[in-house]
Formats: sequence, structure tokens, C-alpha cells
Amino acid sequence: MQSGAVRHDRVKYAFIWPAFLIVLVISIFPLIYALTVSFQSVRLVPPIPPRFVGLDNYAEILSSGRFWGSTWTTASIVFMSVALQYVFGFVIALALHHNVRGSSLYRVVFLLPMFIAPVCVALIARMVFHPYLGPVNDAMNLFGFVNIPFLTEAPLAIMVLVVIETWQWTPFVTLLMLAGLQGLPGEVFEAARVDDIGPWRRFWDLTFPMLLPLSVAVIFIRLVEGFKIIDTVFVLTGGGPGTATETLTLFAYNEGFKKFNLGMTSALSFVFLIVVIVFGTVYLALAQRLTRRYA
Amino acid sequence: MENRTLRGLGLGLCLIWLFFSFFPLYWVFVTAFKPPLAVSQGATYIPFIDFRPTLQAFRDALSGIRGDFFGPIASSVMISLVATALSVFLGSMAAYALVRFQFRIRLLSGLTFGIISIGGFVLLNGTFDITVPYALLIVLVLALVASIYVNRLPLPGPVLGNNDVTFWFVSQRMFPPIVSAFALFLLYAEVGRAGLPLLDSFLGMVLAYTAFGLPFAVWLMRDFLSTVPVEVEEAAQVDNIGRIRIFFQIVLPMSLPGLLATSMIVLAFIWNEFLFALLLTTGDWQTLPILIAGQNSSRGDEWWAISVAALIAIVPMVIVAAILGRMMRSGLLSGSIK
Amino acid sequence: MKKLLLTTVAFGAMTGAAIACEPDYTGVTLNVSTQNGPAIASALAAAAVSWEERTCGTVNVIEFPFGELYPKFLTAMSQQTGDFDAIGFVPAWLPDFAPFLSTMPAALQEGSNWEDIHPVYRERLMVWNGEVKSATMDGDMHMLNLRADLLNDPDEQAAFEAEYGYPLASPVTWAQYYDQAAFFHRPNDGLFGTAEAYRRGGQQFWYFFSHAASYTNHPDNPGSMFFDPETMEAQINNPGWLRALEEYKRGLDYNPPGALNNGSGDVRPLYAGGTVAMNYDWADSGDLGSTEGAIEGHVLLFIVPGSTEIWNHVSDQWDSFDEVVHSPFLAFGGWQLAVPADSENPEAAWDFVAEVISPEVSGSAIVTANSGVNPYRFSHYENLENWSSVFSEEEAASYLGAQRASLDAPNVALDLRLPGFFSYTEVLEIELSKALAGEVEPQAALDAIAEEWDALTEEFGRDSQLAAYRASVGLPPM
Repeated sequence: MQSGAVRHDRVKYAFIWPAFLIVLVISIFPLIYALTVSFQSVRLVPPIPPRFVGLDNYAEILSSGRFWGSTWTTASIVFMSVALQYVFGFVIALALHHNVRGSSLYRVVFLLPMFIAPVCVALIARMVFHPYLGPVNDAMNLFGFVNIPFLTEAPLAIMVLVVIETWQWTPFVTLLMLAGLQGLPGEVFEAARVDDIGPWRRFWDLTFPMLLPLSVAVIFIRLVEGFKIIDTVFVLTGGGPGTATETLTLFAYNEGFKKFNLGMTSALSFVFLIVVIVFGTVYLALAQRLTRRYA
Repeated sequence: MENRTLRGLGLGLCLIWLFFSFFPLYWVFVTAFKPPLAVSQGATYIPFIDFRPTLQAFRDALSGIRGDFFGPIASSVMISLVATALSVFLGSMAAYALVRFQFRIRLLSGLTFGIISIGGFVLLNGTFDITVPYALLIVLVLALVASIYVNRLPLPGPVLGNNDVTFWFVSQRMFPPIVSAFALFLLYAEVGRAGLPLLDSFLGMVLAYTAFGLPFAVWLMRDFLSTVPVEVEEAAQVDNIGRIRIFFQIVLPMSLPGLLATSMIVLAFIWNEFLFALLLTTGDWQTLPILIAGQNSSRGDEWWAISVAALIAIVPMVIVAAILGRMMRSGLLSGSIK
Repeated sequence: MKKLLLTTVAFGAMTGAAIACEPDYTGVTLNVSTQNGPAIASALAAAAVSWEERTCGTVNVIEFPFGELYPKFLTAMSQQTGDFDAIGFVPAWLPDFAPFLSTMPAALQEGSNWEDIHPVYRERLMVWNGEVKSATMDGDMHMLNLRADLLNDPDEQAAFEAEYGYPLASPVTWAQYYDQAAFFHRPNDGLFGTAEAYRRGGQQFWYFFSHAASYTNHPDNPGSMFFDPETMEAQINNPGWLRALEEYKRGLDYNPPGALNNGSGDVRPLYAGGTVAMNYDWADSGDLGSTEGAIEGHVLLFIVPGSTEIWNHVSDQWDSFDEVVHSPFLAFGGWQLAVPADSENPEAAWDFVAEVISPEVSGSAIVTANSGVNPYRFSHYENLENWSSVFSEEEAASYLGAQRASLDAPNVALDLRLPGFFSYTEVLEIELSKALAGEVEPQAALDAIAEEWDALTEEFGRDSQLAAYRASVGLPPM
């Protein structure tokens, strides 16, 4: 955060305005457009002229079971997978940092999954989890579970999605936590070693608190990004059975790009945004309190 | 003793994770060489033992009957690299400003901006029928000027600080991309009609993707830069070295691990972005994810073809990951060496 | 890259030989777009070669994922960006696209080439609101794929007749279809009865429609399959549809495991790999089986089963017929080519379209592997030798015979084509997948669909939807 003297130099504007302007220009029109359209009933097909409907779109969304269902589905997938990602990612980062044997090989392989396009990951997962022709099915057969309907039963499908998300994004956490670990001052740990403080205590009293701000940031980004999961769901289950695995973005996608019901989709986008902001603010407030307690 | 058990545990976990991470990749690699029968009759694992490998899928892909691969690869590489460089560069600068300086923005000023921009746009575009690009330009300039002016006035109301500015940047990522993509398409189409072709163009894609990557860059670099100790900079300032030089010659090199990590992350996101690429490109600048999505064809999950496409998309990223892995190891550690 | 090379060489050769370009489109570049290859896109690329030679123009084939074609085309055309000169799309989208498409020039609508196109395509699928807006470049319908080796095996025949009391032959009713599926369902031997598509987003509803056509497409009540052609009331929850859904669901028992997640793409390798004894699908299963499958030489095609009982929605009862009535369902309809109204080169574009659908070019496309083009012209069916490269003689005879019978059938059922197609099919897919997974009762699912369909019709405008529906099934306006 802020450290050292607080300046009001003019130069600070030079630093921030380019980034600010670019983001502003690209994002402001979509925002205005979405806002105005969300109060209208706009359908591209069939070509009905737009008409002003006030808050009808919002009311329809908030009262629709499908919206709440998809929010619940998305939230459960996101929270479960991010928790797993953080735990695994941190532990692996620690192992890599302490140069566990073979770490040079791990570093490359561990990073790979996050660099693969979500669409690719989804297609690969579809192959791997095929209930008849896939290797996971073969493995399950060894344990006596024959032809588990991974992708056609809601709870199983959600578990599969969580597994895939964890597989793909744990490297993200690993990468950032490792960079954080490498940025920690070495002397503190030297001192701790001299004082003969065990590794467990070292972790909880030194490493973890020092990396707390970074952890907060990393988890936050994963949460925000995770809420937008669509490719994997689309390819693996299509949102089915029924709408059991339909996520918010998939719902918006079907409304917006298949039915071209733009008014409804815009309203949905804003409600989605509010949902994420609510989660995000709550999370950040909690994280602030946690950081203050430790720091 | 403790150390050994911990090391053992660590090694064990890494091995398990290695298998978990690696197996799907291995599967993809092997499947790319499978003839169709090796797929449709059950899972096969080891080439030459379970099935006879063939290069047919590769030949199909490279001969172009499944879509031209080279064009999208070139487009993806060019757009991603430039956009990543720009967003990390500008993002680091913004992050530095947020770490070292204090910003004070009145809420009222922000509100002013919002009202003038939205209201003004609806007025200009809806009532006066001014085309979108010009209306937007006018409204932006007016709103910015007005809100800067309002910021100077001693008005009541809460004052937003650096954290809120950062939150604003990140909130751009929270908006679901569906409507944004469509709206951006509309904007580009309108600007194209006004004379500057942004659709299916290098400029348009780089612009969109830079805006796309900036929130990450700002958010992540802010944390990395805050670990850079201030004393070094203060020492430089005493010697009267300008802020900009301090930034480039002292701060950035000291935060190299973070910079690299951020660059890789931004690159990964931009490389794999699908929705905006789909809408904003047509024939000239189509990128790789669109091609991959198209492999999910109607001829049956032709897993061998999908695998080949996936491999081709992964290879550049393998190179990136390898480079990154190297750099992480070879002691670009402790950016805070005093 | 290869296209560029090819066109450069062609161009160079032409300028070298100084052959006249006819008509001369030098310097014209057409952007033609469709789904990712090889299906359809390769056919367009092949036609491009001959067109470029003839006219000295250039063709740029742009491909998109199938799932993204609709939004991509619609957004581009609605904003009139001029991105595309010709698009290859799905007939079900014609009502939504029609306002943005240009009409086929009158010159292309006459002559022997025009007459050669089968009337089902020529007069129904290519037409919207009385105007010819698109050109069929591919014929699509569902057919029954069987295994000649299983059906002609004397041991199987004897066992079947002993068990079911009638000779083993191509099934003509759905009851016979299920009998055979049950008979050949031998999981322990690795052979399963049949393979149908059930996955949401995997084109499953077309498989459902094929069942339904047999029970709801009444010969005396044309156009009553999906909606009441007088009132636009949804018909999808009538007893005919209920029976179809129950049977479609029953098929799960004879499918390989994991069938609930099978899309149309998954059933083909199952048939071609010999895992199932039969399926019904578009021509792709048969093609795959005879070219790359384990069952080469044993592919047998037949018209989709029919029924002796059809629901009559006017008299509200089941009508019995002495003969089995086949209602072959023109699922999907077959890829169409059209020229968007905002194209900058409409003449050249329509000229290219004419090239693609010409008897010569299309005739070679239908026998080229992976082209994705299926027959739709009389000349396609009549030239049997053309097919020898793909099928054995018996296979060719059954393939062409089944298709021709389907097209010529008096009770052929057309696919659903309405403005707002995706809105109607989305709720259908959702409720259907719930019913298949056993989460709701079939009747309840159908009622839910009907309710939503009626609501959609109200929202879109009952009168205009009714007019559109009547036009799409070939009925005169009210």
C-alpha cells in the first residue's frame, strides 16, 4: 500500500492517465449502451422495435428461478475451486521455493495448464471424462465403479467442473505465490532459523502474514475471473441436465447470443455485476480485517 | 528431522500433482497420433503397444482442410505480444502512481462524470442523432473537464482514495463479457463507418486487449511494487533524479520477478481470450481460440483432430512456460536485495 | 497460405494464357464464410478454385465454429458491416436472417439447372415470404442406418424370427425399431442396440423430432406438427408428442453407457466403429461407416420408421392407417448459401453461389469425402456410377434409394423454421434434458414447453408468427 512520503507531484498524473484513458474509452461505451438497453425491451430477432419497459427486465430476472439457480451453481463452483486452488497452489509454491528435488521439471509442467485456452481444456476434459471411452472411466472401473455418469448428473458434473477449474488455475496461484515468496527478505528467515523456530511456526508467524496482501489479491482475482466460467460448462454439459450446471455467464450467453434478447441480457449483466461487487466488497472487507490482525 | 518429513511430504505432493497436471497433457499428445479406431473402441494409452500411431491427423491439420492454422497463429502471436507489452508497461506505471502517490477523488466528481457522460450521450445520440463516435468523444471530453473542475472545488462528500481507484480498475473485469463484446462491436462498427476501421484490424484488437489486460497489470503490480523499499528511491531523489528515471532504472528492475509473473499472466489471458476475438475479427485477424473452438466439429468428437489443434495451440505456451520456469529458478530472486 | 498460393498460381497461369474471364471479376475478392471445415468449407473451397479460374476473381473462405455462426452472422448483417459476401448457414435461421439477405437474381431461378433441384428444396426451403432468399447447397434429412452384415446373417434372422414372430428386415415402424434394438443389445459382447443423441446443445432435439414426425405429421392436417396452423397454439404437448418422448426416452435402455451426454457428433463413431447395431442420423453416419469405419461394406440405409397411428389434432384422437405412413423428417434441412444485402459485390457473390450449386461442382462434392455435401438434385440421385468411389453398389443403392424415398414421400415433414428459433428451441432443450434425466415426467415437460412457446408467440406477435409458420410449412396465408 502506501509507504513513505505522500507527494502531490504532477508527475503522478503522467503515470496513471494513459492506463486510465485506455480503460475508460474501451469500457465506457459498453457501459452506457448496456445501461440504456437494460431499461428497454430490445430483441434483434424477431426485429421488434425497442420499447421502454423501465425495471421490467430487472424484475423478471430477480424473480426467475433460473437466475438464482445459476448464481448458486456459479458460486458453489467458484468458491470450492478457488479454495482448492489457493491451498494447493500455496503448498506447491512453498515446495518449489525450497527447491524440492526435481523442481526444475515441475516448474514447467506445473505452469502449463493455465496457459492452455479454456476451450482446449474443456475439449480435453470431455475426452478424459468420457463415461465410456475415457481414461478416468477406466480408472474408476479398477475400483469397481462402472460407467459413472460424470457429465450427466448434476452433482457429479459440478464436481468435475471444480476439478477442471482447480487443474487449470492452481498454476496461477503457484506462479504468483512463488514470485511473492522469492520477494521476501531473506534475513528474517535467517534470524528465525538461528532462533531455532520450527518450520511450522516459521510459516504461520512469518511467511503467511507477510504474504497475506498478495494472497488476498490472488484469491480476489481468481474469484472474479472464476465467476465468468463458461467455456468448460458449454463444452462439457451444455448447461444440462436441464439448467442444473448452467452458470451465470452461460445463461447470459444464451440470452444474448442465441436469442439476442439484448434488453434482458444487459439487465442480467448489471445484476451479475452487482452480485460480484457484493461478493467482492464483502471479501475485501473481511480480508482487510484479517490482514490488520496479522500485520 | 522435521525438515526431512516436510521435504518428503513436499516431494510426495509434487509428484502427485505432477501426475495430475501432466496426465491430461500426455493424453492429448498421445491421442493426436491415434487412428480413429483407437479412440472409438475404448481408451488406449501407450503408442506402439495399444495402438499404431499415425501422422494422419497432423497432415490433415497442416494441409489446411480443417481451417488455416498459420494465419491465426501469426495473428495471435502478434496481437498478444503487443497487447501484453502495452498493458504491463502502462499498468506498472499506473500501479507505481497508486503506490507512491496519493489520489483524492471526490465522489461528487465521479458522479458528475457519470451523469454528464451517460446523460449527455443519451441526449446527443438519441435526441440529436449525432453518430456514436462523435457523441462519445464530445461527451467524454466534457465529462472529464467537468469532473476535474468539480474535484478542485471544496465540496462536501466522501473522498475516494487509491484503493478505490484500484478497485475501479479491477471492476472492469467483473462485468460479464457478453454485452460488452456486443457493445464494443457496435462501437467499432460505428467508428469504422466514421472512417477509422477498427473491426478486424490490428489496432482495434490491440486496443481492446490492452484495456482487457490493464486491470490485471495494475492490480498485481501494485502488490509487487509495494514490496520495493522506498529508501532506495528516496536516496535517488535526494540526488535529484527525476521520478520517471527512478521508475525505469531503479524500481522496475527491482520488481522483476513480479513483472515477469504479471506479464506471463496477462499474456495467458490475452492469448486465450475467445469472445472478443470472435466478434471483433473476421477473416484477417482471426485468432487461435476461435480455430480451436471450431474443432469441436459435427463429425463426431474427432479426438485426434482436436488433440492436434490443442497441441498446436499449446506449443507456443510451452515455450513461454519453459522460459518463465527458467527465470524463476535462476535466481531472479529477492528483488529487495539491498 | 495454400489458398493464396493456389490463387496466385491460377491467376498467373491465366494471365499467361490470356484466357478471357467470364464474366470478368478481376480484382473482386469475395469473403465467403461458414462453419469450420472440412464439412461445407472444403466444398466451398473446391468450388472457389473453379470459380476463380473462370472469372479471375478471388475467394476468401472464412471459417467459424458452428456454435458461433449465428451470432457472428447476425451481428455483422444487422450492423451492415459488409464483412461477408456469401454465407453458408442453417435453414432454421432463414426467418431471422431474411430481412438482411438479398434476393436471388431472377436469371438463376429458371432453366434446367433450376428444375434439377428437388422441389422440396426449391419451393420450400429456399423460399421465405415468397422470395427466394437462399440456395440449397446440401440436402439433409434423417435416415435409418443399419448393418447389412447383421441383418443378412441367417443365424440372426432365425433367432429374431423365433423371438419376435416376424422376419428380420429393415424396420418400418418404431415398434420394430425397438424390437431390433433390444435384440441386438448385447453389452457383454460389446454390441449395443442403437445410438441416439440426447445431450443439450448436441442437436438432440432433431432426433426427438424424427420420432415425433411419425406420430404427429398427419397427412390430412398439413403443417400441424409443431403448431396448430389456424391458431398458432403449440401442439408439442399433444398425445402424439408424448408417445414420441416416451419412446425416445425408452431408447436410452438400448444405448451404450453415457448416452445422455452424446451429441450428434458422438453417435457417428459409435455406429461406424461397430459399437451399435443401428442408429438414425443424417447421412454422416453412413458416410463415416463406409469410408473410415470398421463396418465398411456393411452399411445399409433405410427411410426412418413410420407409424400406422397418427394423432389427429382436429378430431382429438388417434387415427389408424392400414399401411405404415412414413413421415421422413427433413432434419436441419441442409446448408444454404445466401448473399447478405450489405455485400459490396452481390453480382459476383450470386455468381459464385451458382457455381457452388451447379450440377457439375455439386456432383463432385457429394462423392468427395469430408465435403459435407449430400444430394439434393435429381441428377445427384440418377448418376449411380458417380458413387462407386465411396460406396459399394449395394450401399449406393440403399443410400440413394433411402434418400430419394424420403424426399419423394408424400408425407415428408419439414423442420421448424420460425423467427426467434433459438428462443423456442432453448426451452425445448432444457425441458427435454430434464425429462430424459428423469427429473420431470414427460407430460409435465411437454406442458412446460407448450406454455413457454405460447408465451413466446404472444411476445413476438401471434399474427406475424402465425403467418411465418404457415409460410414455412407451405400453407397459403389465412
